[in-house]
Amino acid sequence: MTKYALFAPPNFIDALLLRVFAPETVNYVVWPFIQIGAVVTAVAVWALYASYLERKISAFMQARLGPMRVGKWGLLQPIADAVKLLTKEDMLPDKADPYIFRYAPYISVAATFITFAVVPFAPDWGVITDVNIGLLFILSVSSVGVLALILARWSSNSKYALLGGLRSSAQMVSYELAMGLSLIGPLMLARTLSMSGIVAAQAADGPLFYIFYQPLAFLLFLVAGIAENNRAPFDLPEAESELVAGFHTEYSGMRWSLFFMAEYAAMVVVSAVATVVFLGGWYFPGVRWLAGGFNNLYVLLSLLVFIVKMAVLLYVYFWLRWTFPRYRYDQLMDIGWKWLIPASLLNIVWTGIAVFTVQALDGWSGFQTIESFRRGVDLTWQGKAIMVAFGGVGVLLAGAMLATINRGSRDFNLKKQRRQVRLVAPPKGAPAVAATAAATATE
Amino acid sequence: MPLVNVPEPTWREKLKRFFMVDLIEGLKLTLKFNVGALTDKDSVKGYGIYTEQYPSVRPQVAPRFHGAPRLNMDPETHESLCIACNLCALACPEDCIDVIPMDIEIMVAGKPRKKKVLDEFIFDTSRCMFCALCQEACPTACLELTQEFELATYSRAGFVWNREMLEQGRESRKFEA
Repeated sequence: MTKYALFAPPNFIDALLLRVFAPETVNYVVWPFIQIGAVVTAVAVWALYASYLERKISAFMQARLGPMRVGKWGLLQPIADAVKLLTKEDMLPDKADPYIFRYAPYISVAATFITFAVVPFAPDWGVITDVNIGLLFILSVSSVGVLALILARWSSNSKYALLGGLRSSAQMVSYELAMGLSLIGPLMLARTLSMSGIVAAQAADGPLFYIFYQPLAFLLFLVAGIAENNRAPFDLPEAESELVAGFHTEYSGMRWSLFFMAEYAAMVVVSAVATVVFLGGWYFPGVRWLAGGFNNLYVLLSLLVFIVKMAVLLYVYFWLRWTFPRYRYDQLMDIGWKWLIPASLLNIVWTGIAVFTVQALDGWSGFQTIESFRRGVDLTWQGKAIMVAFGGVGVLLAGAMLATINRGSRDFNLKKQRRQVRLVAPPKGAPAVAATAAATATE
Repeated sequence: MPLVNVPEPTWREKLKRFFMVDLIEGLKLTLKFNVGALTDKDSVKGYGIYTEQYPSVRPQVAPRFHGAPRLNMDPETHESLCIACNLCALACPEDCIDVIPMDIEIMVAGKPRKKKVLDEFIFDTSRCMFCALCQEACPTACLELTQEFELATYSRAGFVWNREMLEQGRESRKFEA
């Protein structure tokens, strides 16, 4: 808190709170509550307006206009939807387990909202809590969301829900592996699991984010994250054309919208993790200079940077959803086990080799690659060039390896599938009448 | 049974598969439409909004389109052109027109004469198939099928149009752009 002429309100509130409470209470109870309230409100509003964005973007991609009637450009449409959902009847299917059926949506929402506790939205007061196992915490808590889906499908006592839930649990188990493994590469560079620590490591390393050192890991994480969120093209658990609505077939009204909210909040979680780990979180070169010493302005600008980076990733979600058709189930399992997991394992080995090379070259005949290890690996420009080259080669290497592993696979090779399809129609040239005439002649 | 003979992929095709060129091209197409919808409103380059914005922008119907019926009036005297000849009702294959005439007394050259004029005209649009045979039968160009196409009502009785509706046109809510 160097200067606080500009954006005084947080400091003013702080001073007010300190009159009433002890400093420990203010720092560890009151401020966290304010932050939690702000984050929960922001995410809830996002979940509301994500449906609007989804409808608008899908409409634009299909050369339509989308919702236009409620409010200007249909901006009040989500509110109308929310009112509709709130006033809808809360249905409980016959023979459903009433307690589990009612509590499954809450587990789903809680599991996704808890993960926001460790996400660093901005420096200083933009962090709710900085746990030193932050990334691990996010991965473990977000996988509790699978439990909610399993409970929902089992308790609703419906065949479509059951199938959808089976698919989602299988899918989440397979993709969580690839997701966790793909994060190990950046962690080897950051040398910490703390979310703020990862951002600090990237800030200390200079203008390059980890996406340049780890493009392969970024791609893997993005694909695995989309699959983890059950979004198209991996939306097998709620494939409309096959399973009605998957695990939430039997849900209606507010409970259904809780699942909906959890899905969009989970999207934010995954893109927040991707932003922190690969895109440098709230860090952007020049922001501190732009803030000019005003701490609160610096925090707000960093928050803006974080939101912009996340918005790009969230747009990618919509973009992919309205471009690609859904995968077949066997293709989905193949992508998980035969493509993503080998590639992420390769990424770990390759990052290890890269880090080792950079360390080995450091100090070799006056060549310097590493400046310090103080907060993650801080590289000189030679070191950066080596790491970027390793990253680019890693992508090609992974592609070559996957092509080798899956050369016999027919799942994505349409040409190969077609080559082995047998014709059903009878061969031409020999009409049935001629055959009978020949048969009578022999007799 | 023979196998379908598909040629081996060339190196070019293999490389395209390896670098996922097709996926990227698909993404490019959707992005083009998304950007076009925001920047190119009138779809000049072909990537904008394509759909018809019906309530705000009314569509142009074809010149030979047959829509809602109308009884034309003399533009100067504002009297009905209908002479109650019943030819339209006879021409109608659906039998949905009912012409109800009445006799009025008029003075022609100082003598009282009877004249047959139109009292009521019933047109059932729910049974009409918009063939416009009535329009062709009309000797005074009174009955005409216009380009109006919004004929929906909330009740079955609303489909039956009387003389007033046919002459004045039905009230309907028009949306502004």
